[in-house]
Amino acid sequence: MFVLSFLARRLAQGAVIIFLVSLLIFTLLRVVPGDPVRLMAGGMAPEALIEQIATQMGLRDPIPVQFGRYMARVVQGDLGQSFVRPANGAATGGANFNDTTRGERAKVMDLILDALPMTLQLAALALVFALVFSSLLGIAAGLRPGGIADKLAFTVSSVFVSLPNFWLGIVLALLLSVKLGWLPAIGYGGFSYTVLPALVLAVELSPVLIRTLSGAVAAQMGESYVTVGQVRGLSPTRIVAAHALRNASVPLLNLLGVQFSSLLGGVIIVEYIFDYPGLGLLTINAVLQRDFPLIQGIAIVTSAIFVLINILVDLAATSIDPRLEY
Amino acid sequence: MSPVLSVRGLRIDLTLPGRERRILDDISFDVAPREIVGVVGASGAGKTVLSRAVVNWIAPPLTIGAGEVRFRDRNLLTLPPREMRRLRRDIAYVGANPMGALDPTLPVGRQIVEKIRAVMPEVTAAEAQDRVIALLDAVRIPSARARFHDYPSQFSGGMMQRALIVDAMISNPALLVADNVTQPLDVTVAAQVIRLMRELTEGFDTAILFVSSSLPVASEAASRILVIDEGRLVEEQPTEALISAPRHPYTRELVAQIPAIWSVRPTVPAVPREARRPDTAIVSLRDVSQTYRVRTRGSFAGTSELRAVRHVTFDIHKGDSFAVVGESGCGKSTLMRLLSRLERPTGGTVLCDGRDIARFSGAELLAFRRKLQLVLQDPFDSLPPRTGIGAMLEAPLRTHGWRDAGRIRDKVRDVMNDVGLPVSLYDQLPLGLSAGQRQRINVARAMVLDPEILLMDETLSALDQTEQFKLLALFDKLQRAHGLTYIYISHDLAMVRKACNRIAVMYLGEVVELADNERLFFDPGHPYTRTLLSAMPTLEKRRYRPEDCLLEGEPPSPIDLPTGCSFRSRCPQAFEDCVTLSPHLAVRGTRDLAACHLVTEPVTDSVAGAA
Amino acid sequence: MGALETTLIVAPPPPVDVAASRSIGRRILSHAARSTEFRIGFALFTILALAAAFYPELSGIDPLKMNVRARLLPPLFVGETWSWAHPLGTDQIGRDMLVRSLVGLRYSFLIGVASVAVTLLIGCALGTISGYFGGRTDTVVMRITDAQLSIPMIILAIAVLGVSRPTIPAIILVLGLSNWPVYARVMRSVVMAERGREYVRAAQVSGATHPRIILTLLVPLLVPPLLFTSVLDVARMMIFESTLGFLGLGVQPPTPTFGNIIADGRKYLLNAWWIATMPGVFLCLTLTSINLIGAAFERARNAIHGGA
Repeated sequence: MFVLSFLARRLAQGAVIIFLVSLLIFTLLRVVPGDPVRLMAGGMAPEALIEQIATQMGLRDPIPVQFGRYMARVVQGDLGQSFVRPANGAATGGANFNDTTRGERAKVMDLILDALPMTLQLAALALVFALVFSSLLGIAAGLRPGGIADKLAFTVSSVFVSLPNFWLGIVLALLLSVKLGWLPAIGYGGFSYTVLPALVLAVELSPVLIRTLSGAVAAQMGESYVTVGQVRGLSPTRIVAAHALRNASVPLLNLLGVQFSSLLGGVIIVEYIFDYPGLGLLTINAVLQRDFPLIQGIAIVTSAIFVLINILVDLAATSIDPRLEY
Repeated sequence: MSPVLSVRGLRIDLTLPGRERRILDDISFDVAPREIVGVVGASGAGKTVLSRAVVNWIAPPLTIGAGEVRFRDRNLLTLPPREMRRLRRDIAYVGANPMGALDPTLPVGRQIVEKIRAVMPEVTAAEAQDRVIALLDAVRIPSARARFHDYPSQFSGGMMQRALIVDAMISNPALLVADNVTQPLDVTVAAQVIRLMRELTEGFDTAILFVSSSLPVASEAASRILVIDEGRLVEEQPTEALISAPRHPYTRELVAQIPAIWSVRPTVPAVPREARRPDTAIVSLRDVSQTYRVRTRGSFAGTSELRAVRHVTFDIHKGDSFAVVGESGCGKSTLMRLLSRLERPTGGTVLCDGRDIARFSGAELLAFRRKLQLVLQDPFDSLPPRTGIGAMLEAPLRTHGWRDAGRIRDKVRDVMNDVGLPVSLYDQLPLGLSAGQRQRINVARAMVLDPEILLMDETLSALDQTEQFKLLALFDKLQRAHGLTYIYISHDLAMVRKACNRIAVMYLGEVVELADNERLFFDPGHPYTRTLLSAMPTLEKRRYRPEDCLLEGEPPSPIDLPTGCSFRSRCPQAFEDCVTLSPHLAVRGTRDLAACHLVTEPVTDSVAGAA
Repeated sequence: MGALETTLIVAPPPPVDVAASRSIGRRILSHAARSTEFRIGFALFTILALAAAFYPELSGIDPLKMNVRARLLPPLFVGETWSWAHPLGTDQIGRDMLVRSLVGLRYSFLIGVASVAVTLLIGCALGTISGYFGGRTDTVVMRITDAQLSIPMIILAIAVLGVSRPTIPAIILVLGLSNWPVYARVMRSVVMAERGREYVRAAQVSGATHPRIILTLLVPLLVPPLLFTSVLDVARMMIFESTLGFLGLGVQPPTPTFGNIIADGRKYLLNAWWIATMPGVFLCLTLTSINLIGAAFERARNAIHGGA
């Protein structure tokens, strides 16, 4: 019962968030300069034709009207059609302005659904790498503040956080793929193509995980139930394993929820560098082609995923710590 | 019989670079089986460190300089950790912070079972669970089987302390170290806990080392008392002898400082009879209620009502020292916020000089602020951390439109003189000042606006006895000099007895009794007042015994109020009418009121308000 | 242990701690300055800052000047054609990599600091209002914050900059606008905690208005500690700036920035690896120095807030 009402409330809040995101991205795309029709129709198209196409597509209506029309479709699950991508897959620049038969344009939803699993695979692997590494270092650091592990964690996280992901991607591709030939790098041709991008992402993710975890563990070790536990007769191992880590995992979970969007930000760059056919590559291409419906669709889908992940995170956190309110 | 615990020549040092200090020096004493030994001393005297040394819990920056703690003839301080852990079965510990003692994310019962299994591996999990439930029941935790699965945050402080006593006693230890166990609890709950501990030692054959900063509390519990002053054991005597014939000067001072309630007649401000007419009231509450909406856990958008203050009506006259007393959760802090217009009531009106303060705004509000000032509770929290003392006292004047820097400075100096603060502190930060000095700054900040009414929100409760005496004398002086009216919000009846002429007792948001000082302490009209009096820590012969005045149990929740009288769940005199009928304030004699069915002559609220 | 330590240190006449009487900002600074990491970071940063400030002009090398004869020279001690004149080598049209990197560093740092200032301004203002007034204001601000947090800032940034033309003010604004929710949240929680404290209540009862309390009591107390944390964000913003440059959405060529140099150099990765990697090393060193300083600040801040 509690869970149901919690879900209902959070989903309602989530709907508000997604609505705000749609509004934001929709407005932004229309108020900043840059006309997608010009790009679609090609540089040579006469002004009158561009106006005609734009009017046909409703791009000259007032923004609230456009937005209303758009949202009416979104709530039915229709994210619209790409401006530039044909339904058969390959991206076109839209050089030929006569070819505007709308039926052949790809559906935004399909494009996203094709790319999403690839990105999820990448993100999941990166998360596994990052969590394993950060837990080892972060817990060791938190148990002994000021010790060797703590110093190591400090240095490692300071260096890792200073590595720009695009540069690290290039360097690792050069070393591991070109020079050593251990891992494939560019494009996608099987699971092994995921490893290198995931490593880059893991390096980007782990500093904040390490810091949060070591801080949380150290804070828990200072709680009175830890010291009192020993006086009550519990063994130190048991106190750490069954109590301190359990409590310290709550801030980590919350962090994962918040960090989701920076993970996705990293994914975009990494996919671009490794030419990995996921949501990130799709985003960058959409932006470069001014493919408004696709950009909007991606923003809505990512914020929906964000909302869902945060609901899951909160459910998990609440099941660990019942004091957190549903 | 050989002692269960004997401490010999114990010395403990603090080894923090730059702060080296001896905490305990040459402490020696014994505890016999089944004996309750009290340890008292001022805060910072080293009691807590002693109690931790006894359970072998001394960690850096504390180090053991010398001595032994012998338990059944083995020196605990040199035992390897593994063997010490085995001994935890026989030496148990309960501390002053019940809410922090258990992992907040796991059910209480499960954690007690975990402890049994750690110290007594031979007990099976199922058996352990049964034992925990049985013992939870024995310490009178209601519906123990259900509470077993509750989380620490669902327990009140008193309930949690009981659960921790269960946790300590579950392995049937030979020695229990109780470090200030009653400190965070309300007096009535503390009285229950002490009673419980005495029963348990008899049932379990356990000796107790009962550490407390309050001599009355320790004397309530222990048969023999050790007095510690600045790390040294200065006196050791059986309880009665210690109180009647203290030998060491520190003990004598300690005994002398315990406030007397009934044996001394205090000089409280007397308000002239003619000033008592209702139209001369400086502050009046008329049927004031405050209800908060709180979100109901686990509902979509549901809220429930928390009725913090219910239908409070009383008058305060010029020159009064009025007290509002009650335990935590009784609504006195809400009442303070209503009186100072930090909040507006949801029902009724608060009148100042006959005008509704909720309607003030702008210049009128500022004038009201000048008239009524607040002196706050926490001497550390109530001063902005990074502001000089002079600047802090100037701020209210600037807010009220003073511009001339010279005049402001003169005024602040005057007030500092008035409250006994050296003017040399003007440009300093409040760091390093004692709690008493900080409270003087608080008083000065209120006095700088020349108010007529001072609202004292637990102003003295953070101070020790000596400081309290000094500040009370200061308040008395200020009252005479400036014709002030005081409203004390307090839980401390002993202080109220010394300082106030008229007292309102609150329970669960209602005023249950309103009476003059003498009447309230010698002839209380409401059973709850009697309970409070019976639970007061004092060395005098009690007029009321806790056994007669208080049933087990906790105050009900202000979200889910019971029908009828709110005190009936803990009242030994409750009868059928109390379940259904809510008692009104009834007049006793000329001007005292109590809300109990046992007081005859029920009257309506309007008459009550006119008193 | 924590509880014991405080009782021991607070209870008996507390020795007047000279260090404690200084402002929190100074204490954090001096606490941080004692750590080795801070010193390393600070030394590194000073060298880089001095180099970026003076080397391009002093060396007299124009970062935009082509020199076809000196093209693709490797950095020091690599291969056979290296020269002292170009310590980090040259790119495909003979421009000096060291000067280009240092000029890039200037832009990067400028944009980083400016966008953090924008972030702080918006975040602190909204967070303070939200935390102080609570209720409906709080709900609205927090909902906007959630919405902003739910889209990766990079999507927002590239969407805006990709569709319009990236100029330096636009970049600063976009970066600044994309990161404020973090500060709004932190500020909100500290203001909420502080608002409940008694001295705020005392000021209220003495008649002080809300803006007065916020501006004279809360802001001077709560914002400076936040500035220390924001050092870490300067580094983050510099990374984002270079990422945008890498995608071609940052400061436009021919102005050299880390991002566009690396993007350029990527095409020559196999025959002249240093074009893409050397600016990266440079950027990493800068960021590491800033991050070491920032992390030392953060630790010092936690230590001081935990202990006082």
